[in-house]
Amino acid sequence: MNPRLTAPQRMARLLAVIPWVVERGGAPIDEIARRFDYPRSQLVADLTEVVLFVGVHPFTPDSLIEVDITDDRVQIHYADWFSRPLRLTPEEGARLLTAGRSVLSLSDSDTISDHPTDAEIDDGRDAAGPLLRALTKLGMALGDGADHAVEVRLGDAPEATLQTLRTAVADRTQVELAYYTYGRDELTTRTIDPARVFSDHGHWYLHGWCHRAGAERVFRVDRIREVRSTGEPVEHELAGGGVAFAADGDDPRVELRLPADAAWVVEQYPTESTEIRDDGTLAVTMAVTAVPWLERLLLRLGPTAEIVAADEPLSPDLVSEAADRILSRYRQ
Amino acid sequence: MEKLERLLNLAAALLDAERALTADELRDRVGGYPDAKAAFRRSFERDKDDLRAMGLPIRVEPVAGTDPPIDGYRMRRSDYSGTELRLEPDELAALHLATNLVRLDGDDSGLLKLGGRAGDHADEVGRVPFDDALAVLIAAAADRRAVTFTYKETRRTVEPWRLSFSRGHWYLAGWDRTRDDGRLYRVDRISGTVEPGDAAIHEIGSVSDPVDLRGWQLGDGDPLVARVAIDAVQAAHARHLLGDVVEAPDGGVVAELEVRNREAFRSFVLSFLDHAEILEPPELRDSMIEWLESFR
Repeated sequence: MNPRLTAPQRMARLLAVIPWVVERGGAPIDEIARRFDYPRSQLVADLTEVVLFVGVHPFTPDSLIEVDITDDRVQIHYADWFSRPLRLTPEEGARLLTAGRSVLSLSDSDTISDHPTDAEIDDGRDAAGPLLRALTKLGMALGDGADHAVEVRLGDAPEATLQTLRTAVADRTQVELAYYTYGRDELTTRTIDPARVFSDHGHWYLHGWCHRAGAERVFRVDRIREVRSTGEPVEHELAGGGVAFAADGDDPRVELRLPADAAWVVEQYPTESTEIRDDGTLAVTMAVTAVPWLERLLLRLGPTAEIVAADEPLSPDLVSEAADRILSRYRQ
Repeated sequence: MEKLERLLNLAAALLDAERALTADELRDRVGGYPDAKAAFRRSFERDKDDLRAMGLPIRVEPVAGTDPPIDGYRMRRSDYSGTELRLEPDELAALHLATNLVRLDGDDSGLLKLGGRAGDHADEVGRVPFDDALAVLIAAAADRRAVTFTYKETRRTVEPWRLSFSRGHWYLAGWDRTRDDGRLYRVDRISGTVEPGDAAIHEIGSVSDPVDLRGWQLGDGDPLVARVAIDAVQAAHARHLLGDVVEAPDGGVVAELEVRNREAFRSFVLSFLDHAEILEPPELRDSMIEWLESFR
């Protein structure tokens, strides 16, 4: 929650709070604070010390807004100018449309059934019907092109895999994964206590307890090669969370010299430091979670990207060795 | 007087005005402004900017009977409330739920106007990058308006058709008036702000959907058809990624790809390290060998 709101932030909230309270004929102060992300004491102060004095020239009592707080309930009267909500700007409408369409993209799959179960209703997967209606109304306000203006794909993973994982999360049962670790280029079989399936910036992830690692792990769903529900109950209950990428403090570091046109590397990979040298090349230091990851990056960049220094056990020759390994395929 | 009170009074005065009011008239009606003319002007301008940033539709009109004409300000109630959405309670609830399930980066001031955040019982299932430029682009696509922005160091005017989020990136498909052609852009490569413009003239068309396009397909010129063998250990991944592949007896697969961008194709094949090999055509196979030999 925001500890210190600016005057315009408070005003934007009040312009939303006032019509909301007026429409309901009053509302509990705590609910207003929670809904509108308005610190309670600030809300009470603004209502009783500011809004009460808002009106128009010549500020006779009949032109002022009336605010009454009794038993933690707020009533607002005579707020003529502000009794209806401020219009949505097209940009705000675009945001809502995008969020709504994203959820509809979930319902396009079979995760939302035509006849939802109670569990589905509880966690909101039945939202598709009224949501579609809401988005149609929103679209009409935004313009003729709204129906096709925005499309969101939350991730790219086989629907059957997602379905198995979601069911296991809901049932609190274990799954067995054949998982491809991209960074290490290895395929492993793991038993997981699944906690949550979520999408982050275009990819689906599974967060859970990995019995092989004996720790919490986050897996990219599109790298799960096979998934099987074991039906065994989970042993570890995890709180939410799960971070898609986190470098380990113990990972070896590598310093690279990159040509100027490889600046995109800095944007796309987690780097620890970047420096532009006099000759225009970049000096970049990054943590190497696994060797194949670095091999791919350098093979892709070409020989103008060089390893300047590398912690043990990284070999400064690792790229040429990787290139040789691939070349041997072409020479058979 | 506190700034919040002055802002609210200013908004009330603008809504209450039967005609456009001059800055001086507003000073008298609102109160709470500094006396000195320059200081008043500064704080009045700042207040006006603040209200506009909140989305308050302040109109500027010449004040009747002034010569030379003086700018006056007012707000029409119909502009203030805009088109009412008239959402049914279940529709509103669904919209709230949607914003809980999928979080967009950045502030959600629109949600406040629809009654704030209702309940947070639903687990967030997704996070999607979002920013102001994207909101302007989507709004323009919805309202069929052109926009102007800088892309690859060129200023372009584009009529947006559709914004798509796929594999972690936002793409804009639209008609490029500058190039007189349908084009696809990566939204994160647009530099600076996106300026809304006049009404779109060109019909909504389509360019290849980014969802179906891979890096090696993005390019000009005639495509080369490449065949790539991928080992069994990566076969499931390749099958998912590429869809149509031919199974090989050893459990691996052979994929046929249309290559328009050779650099992107090379990067893609290299992402399999030594689990993939370009079989055909010799041109692409030889260029891969040459690339790999350059590391020695």
